[in-house]
Amino acid sequence: MIVDLLHSPLFALPLSIIAFWLGVLLYRRSGTVLLHPIVTASLLVFAILYALEIPYRDYQSSSALLYALLGPAVVALAIPLKQNLAIIRRAGWPLLVTIVVGALLAPAIAVVIAFLLGAGESVLLALSGKSITTPIALALAEKIHAALSLTAGIVVFTGVVGALAGPPLLRGLGIRDDRILGVVLGINAHAVGTARALEISALCGACAALAMGLCGALSALILPLIIGA
Amino acid sequence: MKTPILRNVIQWLLGIATLLACECIGSLITDVLALPIPGSVVGMLLLLVGLMIYGGVPRGLAKVSSQLLFLLPLLFLPAATGVFFLRNLTLSDWFALLAAITVGTLISITLCALLLRRLLRKTGAAHDR
Repeated sequence: MIVDLLHSPLFALPLSIIAFWLGVLLYRRSGTVLLHPIVTASLLVFAILYALEIPYRDYQSSSALLYALLGPAVVALAIPLKQNLAIIRRAGWPLLVTIVVGALLAPAIAVVIAFLLGAGESVLLALSGKSITTPIALALAEKIHAALSLTAGIVVFTGVVGALAGPPLLRGLGIRDDRILGVVLGINAHAVGTARALEISALCGACAALAMGLCGALSALILPLIIGA
Repeated sequence: MKTPILRNVIQWLLGIATLLACECIGSLITDVLALPIPGSVVGMLLLLVGLMIYGGVPRGLAKVSSQLLFLLPLLFLPAATGVFFLRNLTLSDWFALLAAITVGTLISITLCALLLRRLLRKTGAAHDR
């Protein structure tokens, strides 16, 4: 009876929600990207599944409702994109060019490094979606037959690395323009970077949201063609 | 008292319905044309074009979207947790992966920033003339 319950959505759903809620609380208290809700929440869920000896497959299949909401969430990305579109009118083609180049460059560099280090094909496929916001990356992973969990893990880790290293790296390069920082964070560190950019300034956050949305849409249009060819 | 709540609920439901409709139409288009692109991304582009024509964001849609995007980490939590259960990767795979992500992200950030700075300076010079 109890065992059945542990393997049903009645357990999986509250577990996810409570882990996420605790993650958000912790993130707000600490204010560091290292403790982004997805990092703490996934560790927490893993610990509980491990302790209760629930197979991951069961947890995954009883979370179908959350997976189903990812599609509408991708569509919802159009709203911040529309609200920040005015920035393009002001900063113009340099922004667009950088986003197009960045969308190709970010995955290409990572794939080349992993290839040189001798990574397997499944790793290379999952890496190609590294800089895209997670919901689009997951939708894309399904299309190019990359492993969903690996893709999600790579995307989250990329976001944390980019959001942590981006601001000090740009300061080191002598760049103090919030627009540049925002666009770079949006391209390379997607949602985690955008959250960090919003803490820096509203303009920085808007640029990041714009870059993240355009970069994600663009990658989803181009990557399947490159990989399919 | 009753009408504003009712209106909010209706706006909210319309927002949800818009998102779902865009996703459905997007999936339909990719299926019919056999495109390799995710249907939800086509739906997002459709909605973006629709909003640009409409010239704004309806309130209900804005509310539903911001709620959904706030919950985003929760939505991909099951997928992200799976990374701890991956057993079919070798140690060298993991090493290549971590190196590629860390080093690759740093290089790509640097290159993007330098490119954008150079391009912005160019247009800045064009404005001065």
